[in-house]
Amino acid sequence: MGVGQAIRYWFMKEVGAPALMRLQKGRKGRRRRPRPHLGPPLSSASRLREIMTRHYFLARYAKGARPVAWVSSGAPVELLRVFDFYTVYPENHGALCGAQKMGQEICQEAEKKGYHHDLCSYARIDLGHAFSGKTPVGRLPKPDLLFCSNNICQTILYWFKELSHYWNIPLILFDTPYNFQEIKGSDIQYMVEQLEAMVPRLEAISGRKYSDSRLKGVLTLAKETSELWGRILATLKARPAPMSIFDAFVHLAPVVSLRGLPVSRQYYQLLLQELQERVKKGISAIKHEKRRLMWDNIAVWFKLRDWSHLFAERGCNFVAATYTNAWAETIHYLDPSKPFESMARAYSFVILNNNLKHRLNLMREMIRDYQIDGLVIHSDRSCKPYSVGQYDMGRILAQDLGVKTVVIEADMTDSRMFSEEQVRTRLEAFFESLGH
Amino acid sequence: MRGRVPDRLTYLLEQKEKGRAVFGVFPALCPKEMLWAMGVVPAEIWDPPLELVKVNSHLQPYICSVVRSGMELVLQGKSDFLDGFLFPHTCDSIQNMASVIKDCMGPEKPCYFFYLPKAPYTEAARTYYLTKLQELAGSLEKQLGGFDQERLGECVRLSNRISSLIEKLYAMRAKGRLRGTSRSFYQLLRKGEHLMPEDLIPLLEQYLTQNTLSEPKGSSGVIFSGILPNPLELLDVLDQLGTRVVHDDLLNCGRRLLAPKMDTTIGPLEALAERYFHLPPCPTKGSGVQERLDFLLDLVKKTDAKGIIFNMVKFCEPEWFDLPFIQKGLKDHGVPTLVLDMEINQDLSAQMITRVEAFLELIS
Repeated sequence: MGVGQAIRYWFMKEVGAPALMRLQKGRKGRRRRPRPHLGPPLSSASRLREIMTRHYFLARYAKGARPVAWVSSGAPVELLRVFDFYTVYPENHGALCGAQKMGQEICQEAEKKGYHHDLCSYARIDLGHAFSGKTPVGRLPKPDLLFCSNNICQTILYWFKELSHYWNIPLILFDTPYNFQEIKGSDIQYMVEQLEAMVPRLEAISGRKYSDSRLKGVLTLAKETSELWGRILATLKARPAPMSIFDAFVHLAPVVSLRGLPVSRQYYQLLLQELQERVKKGISAIKHEKRRLMWDNIAVWFKLRDWSHLFAERGCNFVAATYTNAWAETIHYLDPSKPFESMARAYSFVILNNNLKHRLNLMREMIRDYQIDGLVIHSDRSCKPYSVGQYDMGRILAQDLGVKTVVIEADMTDSRMFSEEQVRTRLEAFFESLGH
Repeated sequence: MRGRVPDRLTYLLEQKEKGRAVFGVFPALCPKEMLWAMGVVPAEIWDPPLELVKVNSHLQPYICSVVRSGMELVLQGKSDFLDGFLFPHTCDSIQNMASVIKDCMGPEKPCYFFYLPKAPYTEAARTYYLTKLQELAGSLEKQLGGFDQERLGECVRLSNRISSLIEKLYAMRAKGRLRGTSRSFYQLLRKGEHLMPEDLIPLLEQYLTQNTLSEPKGSSGVIFSGILPNPLELLDVLDQLGTRVVHDDLLNCGRRLLAPKMDTTIGPLEALAERYFHLPPCPTKGSGVQERLDFLLDLVKKTDAKGIIFNMVKFCEPEWFDLPFIQKGLKDHGVPTLVLDMEINQDLSAQMITRVEAFLELIS
């Protein structure tokens, strides 16, 4: 690591970032779109903006000052924290590009290099960014390490392999056997041995020593953060719900990208407090909550804002999502007294690494607990492990629980794979079935 | 069996009459020797030639045709006579299709799953793979009765015999010393998707005997890469234009059939485990891009191939991801490539034929 880069990073952390935050606070808020059907916005949102802006701002200066890793959303990042890696999440970056409506443009940069437009759009955005440097966040640091787990998909391995080849940098895979049935002792053992074998490699790449006590501290923080996130989502059980899943998609960023750091725990304490207050005062996410909905799959990032208005106008509030729930569902398995074994369990049990029976049971439970009237299934052409099986699960849930369901064919970030008219027609029929 | 080869369904039904169980096995890599040893006939399901109708209410159109046609087979009841399914962990779509079949459609037959560790391999992967083999044997034993290590040893030896014959077929073909067409070559290889070793070995031997030339026939050659040697009409076009397929990098063929011989001096389970880690590189296993590129360049060098045809299946992520860097790497080494984007049972269009013809002209 270079001394110059370390000084620059330290300066930006201690002086540059706080100055940027002050500047942002002093700036007049942009003109908001009228919110005739939405409740008052969450005041914590401004703190979230600060945190994420600071994270991406400092990322620009991290290279050379700290080891940098690009990490997949389902990878056990806690281990990297021990070695002081600055972590960047390409999936979070992809979502950001999608929400900023830059998905198509950056995907095309990958397509120019020969990547087929049928491939995952997060991957195309990431590769497109790597080839062109295009991003809405200024600049991402080139990684020293790629760190992924195939507990979310096999695609992540194919994608990170490309980056590893392009930059000639190491790739560490945490291979998590798919739970077709019950997990076996041999699966846990395999995962534990992989995690243990990562330690000397991470020491060599980062130039830092492993510390058992540091890992335990990070695991405690991650577990508490995830539990807070779970409590935040549980506030949506209230009628009316104090927040919508459209908000949760955005407020998810710290538990994904900054898990294991104090800032994410602090933020969720703040958000939880605000939501509890809203529940007490009966402040709702939408003005007239008549129907409560559940979302399945990743968000359609470029439609988030439009749809929050569209559904609110119809008195429909999304109060649960299998996607946002994923970061609350399994992290409680983390146990600082058994760090490696508990990481293996926590990361193996994530929703996409589990069979569909598990997912069906989880959805049944959520439909009951959150008093769901309707289920919106996003069939995401970029995400096969989330989407294959959705047609059957939707039918089973509709039959067993009488919940209204609609399937919308879309993509999380590539707006070319989205037919506004077709989806609108389906949603209109869905609203009708809900009694509107 | 010599001289009489019943069609696939007749063969499988005959096997059932003999008292053997028949399992539907989805792509791609699985320890078939273990099934043989337990008296099970593995019937691989890659590309059943069916009109895709029923599957549309279960799987999205953006799922690859290998998975969609496999599920169509199940939905049309054409797999009802099977005694079980085995799903190797090949990709996200097969993984979830396995769970749809087991958890949502509920066939009243056993479903087995076989997880394959992904590269880059750690030391733990070897131990794990061996343990998975033992666990699979244990599960099969519950349905089918005793598992006999000695019988497995015999099946390993039969498998080695098959590998030797296939290796020889590939070698003779590469040298231009095989008379048969590309169509007949791949039709023969694909019989291994359902024939038991005692029936497959004579066919391989017969083909070698009948088609070996004493002198090589000279013609330019290409390498085929992708999932399957489909459609057969594509192979016919190559034959008609005087171009031989001199080797392949197909998941269905070379990537698994050109397995190194298993060590018969160690335990059969250990031998099976070792083989997995020595198969040619494949993106479904997580092999690195450079490893694949080096492998293809080596094939080109060994076979003097004039180009590579990537016969891609639409929506097959493992194959498509690697393609740009592999194509670039091949181009940097002066190896021309052609990419075809197809569904597995798609007819060969005139446009496609023109592209193939243009490519062959370019390399000749």
